[in-house]
Amino acid sequence: MDRPPPSRRGVLRAAAGLAVAGSALAVAAACGNGDEGPDELEAPLAAARADAALATVAGRAFPDLAARVGPVASARRAHADALAAEVRRARPDRADAVASPVPDPPPPASSAAAAAALRTSLGAARDAGSELAVRAARYRSGLVASVAAACGGLAETLT
Amino acid sequence: MAGPLDDTDTRSAVQAVLGAEHAAIWSAGLATAYLPAGEQTALADAALAHRERRDALVALCEAAGVAPAPAAAAYATPRPVTDAASAAALLAVAEDDTAVGWRAVLERTDDPELRRTGVAAVVSAATVGVRWRGLAGTQPLVASFPGMR
Repeated sequence: MDRPPPSRRGVLRAAAGLAVAGSALAVAAACGNGDEGPDELEAPLAAARADAALATVAGRAFPDLAARVGPVASARRAHADALAAEVRRARPDRADAVASPVPDPPPPASSAAAAAALRTSLGAARDAGSELAVRAARYRSGLVASVAAACGGLAETLT
Repeated sequence: MAGPLDDTDTRSAVQAVLGAEHAAIWSAGLATAYLPAGEQTALADAALAHRERRDALVALCEAAGVAPAPAAAAYATPRPVTDAASAAALLAVAEDDTAVGWRAVLERTDDPELRRTGVAAVVSAATVGVRWRGLAGTQPLVASFPGMR
């Protein structure tokens, strides 16, 4: 509110601090995930995209389900965006691998089957993410845990 | 021997989430008076989970020779609690606060046991949060990134 504007010196100091933090992250990324094979976040990214696609198709096919699967589609899209952004940042060599969109799955046979299929895949994403968050690098652990937690909550909304 | 609380950054995150767990336990105690009979078992389960995490955090502090953050006698609620809906809204806030605290711990430790407890806590906050938000009548029932400030 009535805090005085930062002095030029103060701003420069803050910028220097950011530069140091930035390079520390780059080092952590290189150590934490190697440069061989797929990034560890590619599997949760694919799961998020598949869930978003299934929730979208199910909402269109079964209007009675739309109110419950709409939030699943938007949350899983947000997860996919955040995970893809992190893979592109840490592993520019995998940018092509994470660029491919997911084709729409066939609509499930019934509204109940659609809810059950989503509940199962959200539960699997919750469990796999809970494991990954224990062994991932610190700066990734929070993101992976938040995604796993949202999946746990979303599965609960479909029971 | 190196312990998970040797780092000051980790230590303050652990103390902060211990404070959030104390507040969640207090909130559950207050909510008992307002929630309908059908919600009391879920509330007791949630309160037990918070007490277990509090006890684990206190034990962790004591093993490291760190004085654990004490509970306050009472907490200022963001909104007055007068009925089941407002009590459920308080419980949702308390769960969100523990999720934020645990996510901060996850980003400040490599200790597998502490990580495991922390992930389970963030997942549990989002899961039980669905019940409290439903009862409070608030949307969305699930945040896209629980624990993110």
